Amino acid sequence: MSRNHKISLPEEELVRALHHRERTGAEALYNMYSSSLYGVIFRIIGEETAAEDVLQETFVKIWHSFSGYSAEKGRLFTWMVNIARNLAIDKVRSKDFKNQTKNQELENNVTFIDEQKNTVYKPELLGLKDLVDTLKPEQKLILNLIYFKGYTHVEAAEELGLPLGTVKTRLRMAIQELRKHFN
Amino acid sequence: MEDIKAYIESGILELYVLGDLSPEERLQVEGMALKHLEVKAELGAIEASLEVYARAHAVDPSEKMQDRVLNSLLINFGNDESFPGRTVNRVIEMPARTPSNFYKYAFAACLVLLLVSIAALINVYNKWKQSDSQVVALQLEKQQFSKRVNLMDEQLDVFRDSTFRFVKLKGTPKTPASAMTVAWSPVKKKVMIDMAGMKLPANDESHQYQLWAIVKGKPVDLGVFDAKADTAMKEMKPVEQPQAFAVTLEPRGGSANPTMDEMVVISNI
Repeated sequence: MSRNHKISLPEEELVRALHHRERTGAEALYNMYSSSLYGVIFRIIGEETAAEDVLQETFVKIWHSFSGYSAEKGRLFTWMVNIARNLAIDKVRSKDFKNQTKNQELENNVTFIDEQKNTVYKPELLGLKDLVDTLKPEQKLILNLIYFKGYTHVEAAEELGLPLGTVKTRLRMAIQELRKHFN
Repeated sequence: MEDIKAYIESGILELYVLGDLSPEERLQVEGMALKHLEVKAELGAIEASLEVYARAHAVDPSEKMQDRVLNSLLINFGNDESFPGRTVNRVIEMPARTPSNFYKYAFAACLVLLLVSIAALINVYNKWKQSDSQVVALQLEKQQFSKRVNLMDEQLDVFRDSTFRFVKLKGTPKTPASAMTVAWSPVKKKVMIDMAGMKLPANDESHQYQLWAIVKGKPVDLGVFDAKADTAMKEMKPVEQPQAFAVTLEPRGGSANPTMDEMVVISNI
């Protein structure tokens, strides 16, 4: 399928199409969200074959348990990304996967992936990376640990040797910082 | 109002969006969002930020993934479309991914196989032991048979051998019913007695019959025997030039000289 024919729908229409299990719904879902979800999955897993498996599992789970989603609970993406993160974390913590992976430092991993993968030119994201770079390193670290490594805030606090309150504050500050620029 | 602000600033809403709360805490946040518009708005803003953050870190999966994913979603698409009324209810929960049971079953199978093998082994071992004792019994029987055959051969040889003479011993006046036959070969000096055709009163435990040859007027011991027809013939001690044979009843083991009173049969040659 050519990239020029990507289907994109407004969120409400996509949700309606998915509830009715329409083919266009499935295609739009993939086109609109696969790379965002894959970015999260790939960062958590760090290995392409397993990440692709988890991406597929994620879409299958979204598709089959879509009746469990309602717009009142929040944005579609939030619901989907939590499914993706949980599946990815399950994968990383599974016995067979643990044996194969080398321990790469978080920062190395994230920048490595950015260098390797994020080369597609996306006009709508122009400047977005610069915004991300305005985050203070300690804010980015906590956000990435939780968002892209699957840590809970409690685990992040332990890992960084910080009080829980500090972790929560920094996390909130990081998101505030992002909002400042997006709004 | 201050409470709501503090609640928002506690950071719990961020954790809610990141899926990092317990179910109870989630319910609490959802309750707050229903009650307070500010909370709902704040949640929406956090969600939007994180969505954009994710988009900023998006990674395109390889081209082949689109077909692979869509195929796995739409594999029953035709059926679903032809029954649109049913599709809404046909949401199938993904089964929880259970760790593979393969090793459990393989282990169980090995165990069963082991037990079966042990049972078979015990069975075979018992049969083997049985056969082994049968073989021993058969060998014994065979030995007995070959012994018997040898003996009978020997006995037959006595009859074939023309040098043998058969001497009939007759009862003395004391035991007129007694009789027996002695085979004697002057060439081979062999003496055999016919046990099967013997007619002697049965001897008790403390006595045995003793065969004598009279050589040059003197009795010569030829050995003792019991009046039992367990073998057909019995070979006695060799003798040369006997003039007569006689049998006396003697204490068990025999005597140096015959007890003439106890003579049961006698013959002349």
